Amino acid sequence: MRWLALIWKSLMRSKRRTILIAGSLVLSVFTVAVLQSLLTTLNAVTNNPNSSNRLVVRHKSGLTQMLPRSYEAYLRQQTEVETVCALQWFGGYYQDPRNFFANFASDETTLFQTFREEFGLAGITEAQMKDYLRDGAGCIVGESLAKKNGWKVGDVVPLTGTIFPINPRLTIRMIFKSPKPSDENVLHFHYKVLEEGVPRMKGLVGSFWVRTHRPEDIPRLIERVDRHYANSAYETLTETENAFNLSFVKMLGNIGAIIQGITAAVVVAILIVTGNTMATAIRERTTEIAVCRAMGFSSTRVLALLLMEGVLLVGVGGLLGVLLANLAAGGVRSSLGAAMPFFADFAILPDTVISCMAGALAIGLLATFIPAYAATRRPITEGLKAVG
Amino acid sequence: MDANRFDLGGGEPIIILDDVAKSYWRETLEIPVLQGIDLEIPRGSYIALMGPSGSGKTTLLNLIAGIDRPTGGSLEVCGHHLNGLDDDELAAWRNLHVGFIFQNYNLVPVLNAFENVELPLLLTGAGRGERRDRVEEALALVNLTDRMFNYPRQLSGGQEQRVAIARAIVTNPDLLVADEPTGALDAKNAEEVLGLMERLNAELGKTIVMVTHDPKAAHHARHQIHLEKGVLDRTVEVNR
Repeated sequence: MRWLALIWKSLMRSKRRTILIAGSLVLSVFTVAVLQSLLTTLNAVTNNPNSSNRLVVRHKSGLTQMLPRSYEAYLRQQTEVETVCALQWFGGYYQDPRNFFANFASDETTLFQTFREEFGLAGITEAQMKDYLRDGAGCIVGESLAKKNGWKVGDVVPLTGTIFPINPRLTIRMIFKSPKPSDENVLHFHYKVLEEGVPRMKGLVGSFWVRTHRPEDIPRLIERVDRHYANSAYETLTETENAFNLSFVKMLGNIGAIIQGITAAVVVAILIVTGNTMATAIRERTTEIAVCRAMGFSSTRVLALLLMEGVLLVGVGGLLGVLLANLAAGGVRSSLGAAMPFFADFAILPDTVISCMAGALAIGLLATFIPAYAATRRPITEGLKAVG
Repeated sequence: MDANRFDLGGGEPIIILDDVAKSYWRETLEIPVLQGIDLEIPRGSYIALMGPSGSGKTTLLNLIAGIDRPTGGSLEVCGHHLNGLDDDELAAWRNLHVGFIFQNYNLVPVLNAFENVELPLLLTGAGRGERRDRVEEALALVNLTDRMFNYPRQLSGGQEQRVAIARAIVTNPDLLVADEPTGALDAKNAEEVLGLMERLNAELGKTIVMVTHDPKAAHHARHQIHLEKGVLDRTVEVNR
């Protein structure tokens, strides 16, 4: 028998209790890991480094209001601007309304330059690019979305419009790969499909995505554009891409505070439950501890053994919780990633794993230390009397 | 030597108690349990500590075994002055020099007989092979080789106490202390355990100090020391 075997056997003296407490730890760590990862994912949406030199120009009254496409000319004239891409959320679905994914009518001539990080341009051939530019009824799709639907280049994708009364049939001309999975759950088609199919959209667009030469140019450009169109029939609201994304995240409420609140509640609850369980488990062994100390186990050694029990319990529970969260993250990616692209990046990151494991171990140590310390400070003779 | 000292004679003393006292405090009230204990016990003795309830015999046993500390006087056991040892040193001393036998056996329920006996050896730094040999030897001595892998719940009371005795002797201590070792056993098993302890004393030369109420059990010892209200009353040499 080794020390670890002794610790393990002590831990398993009440299998039901150990399994139940480990189970509660698994669920707690799972919950915390998933919630914290959700927060990390949402933060990544609003802190996308690729967006550092991109702006979104839209109608001041909201996304449902359109801007004249003629604004594009003014935007291009600004010395800070590298390129401008007109973009309209189409909101169509493929075959079944539940099969929802992001799809846009966009200016094919500037799309790739404006979003060059997302398109991973290195993998795109000139022939594919020409095919797409040439075919007005063509479209491009991300690899994840193509895989999910079993699409390949040349396939026709019939989209059913939900916002606009058209059902375009689009031929896939390019399947692009992106550094981030979330950027692959998207379909783009030529803007003129929308303009020609929906008369009221002629000369209008929902937003302009502006790429500047340098991130430092952004503040003064925002100020200048909005000032230029102030008091016009189509006033603009210009903001950074991250701020634009944040406005969507904010629709969920103060999600950060909610997640941190739930995390704190889970941590406190599990600390109380683990502490109570460990206290009971140690109290039941008062005599056994006294006997071990009588045989020559020092208080420090007994304390260390008891702490190791607590750490092993929460360590195993925490590890299983993290593994479960990883499995769940895979499920979230595949089930929600297409409908909500940011979920395609949902993952339990190493930082979250480390935080969860460190938190679990801290709970194990804290919950065990107090009863264990008390047990090892108790006089041996008193412990032996506890036999009755 | 102090004229009042109880000296059992017979050679080199393994236990020397000099004016030992022990009191407990209940709030501000001091409750003396032992007073002025002067005693020398020679190596190889087999002592029965006797006396009515509350006479201090278990307290005296605990002091000798180093699991309690006196409030007065000094103790020298197995060549060590216990008063001068800190808690960790005292723990290490107990592991080397003292084997414990309890009334309720106090085996660890989640460990089998082998593992229970092996437990004190984990502290000695003995390797796995040496530990195995010593455990097997101790279990053979108490005639439980065939029950080596049984858990306490699978053993009778007598067998549990024999495992506890194997655990007490596995580190080859000089001194065995037993607190009512037959208190929870029926007559047959009690006799078996007492016979075993007698063998340990006679054949292996272990010094045994046993607390007992039972005159039959005390009869197995070579000397009986009687306590009365916390003081040594008399010693009796047992004629067998």
